[in-house]
Amino acid sequence: MFLQILQDALFAAIAAIGFAAISRPPRRAYAYCALIAAVGHSLRFVLMNGQCVGMNIMAATLIASFVVGTLAVFLSPVARTPAETCLFPALLPMIPGIYAYRAFGGLAMCVLNERQEQFDYYFYLFAHNSLTCGCILLGMVIGATIPIFIFKKVSFQATR
Amino acid sequence: MITVMNSECECGPSCGEVSRFLSDYSAWLLGSGATCIRLEKNVSRMARAYGKEVEITIMPRHVHLSIWDKGSTEMVTTIASVRHCAISFNINTRLSELSWEVADGKVDFQEARRRFDEIVTGDRQSKWLVLLLVSLANASFCRLFGGDVTAMIVVGVATLAGYYLKQQMLERHVDIRVVVIACSFVSAVLGATDILFSIGETPTIALGTSVLYLVPGIPFLNSFSDMLYRHYVCSFSRFIDAVVLTSCLSIGLCAAMLLMNVGMF
Repeated sequence: MFLQILQDALFAAIAAIGFAAISRPPRRAYAYCALIAAVGHSLRFVLMNGQCVGMNIMAATLIASFVVGTLAVFLSPVARTPAETCLFPALLPMIPGIYAYRAFGGLAMCVLNERQEQFDYYFYLFAHNSLTCGCILLGMVIGATIPIFIFKKVSFQATR
Repeated sequence: MITVMNSECECGPSCGEVSRFLSDYSAWLLGSGATCIRLEKNVSRMARAYGKEVEITIMPRHVHLSIWDKGSTEMVTTIASVRHCAISFNINTRLSELSWEVADGKVDFQEARRRFDEIVTGDRQSKWLVLLLVSLANASFCRLFGGDVTAMIVVGVATLAGYYLKQQMLERHVDIRVVVIACSFVSAVLGATDILFSIGETPTIALGTSVLYLVPGIPFLNSFSDMLYRHYVCSFSRFIDAVVLTSCLSIGLCAAMLLMNVGMF
């Protein structure tokens, strides 16, 4: 279990660094992005797979992204970058890409299939996956932006 | 004589100068992917430092700024088009730093102007390093979704090819929507090899993850942040931008699946 958590944190950190590189952060921000993403994603992993927790993915994402947001707000003055610079790339590994992919697949298949049973089945796949994907995204952005909103003063003075 | 020298209106920059500078500043800050609230805070902080009052209207593609001296009835209004440049948190960070330096009186007007030009022209990044990092990132992303080692390698290669194509096409100023369709097509075709040759245990995850580096995550997050601060027009516009790019991604993916004749599930 411990090894799995470490592995999750490691891959989340690599993913955060790479996706951060797309949006050109200042060099000193990379380490913070990786750290915050690793903490956030492994926390979500523990919340979902821990023995006595076993939360569903939406609630776990909400809590994990709130922690990510708070960490980003208080680490951004240390890194001397705006809070978004650390926060947004760190959130990207949590984006529910595979749900979005399945939802899209379901939609395509239900358009292509005319028979009712098949249509119903694929429509169910489409609806289930897109609702889950939407809720995860919503939980993610709400959880992560609320700390910036609460600690306005810290987050906008970070580059002072 | 001394009182005149000390008065801000005499020795500080004029409203016109400040207005020009701040509108250039806003155009670049928004173009580099800053949120509306950050723009408002930075600009009013700088205007206050120069002893001016400011009102800002932020539209999705333009920024209007009105600047006036306290107690004066004359205003200068400037309208600037938002710059079309790639999202850059580096520019965003350095421009925010500049706004605090101005506010704390560390740099004067001429110096601020000079630094601004330096920041917006000096944003360099190694293309090859980014290409490598993005490929590694997407491969790790595949792992997070439960892909095995084969799937990770396939995704890494698919991303490498797709992102290289993206860099090349963007350098030639091809429309971003066309770029996304082409890149997702190429990545998905390569990602589908795992299904076609059935080499790994988790082929569908490889196909699904291969295009995810194209998801416009930052515009989505920015859009939500704008919504929270009630900048609904900008929020909606950013959201539509992101939705259009996501649809382009899906078109490329769909075309690749039809071509390779692989099912979704």
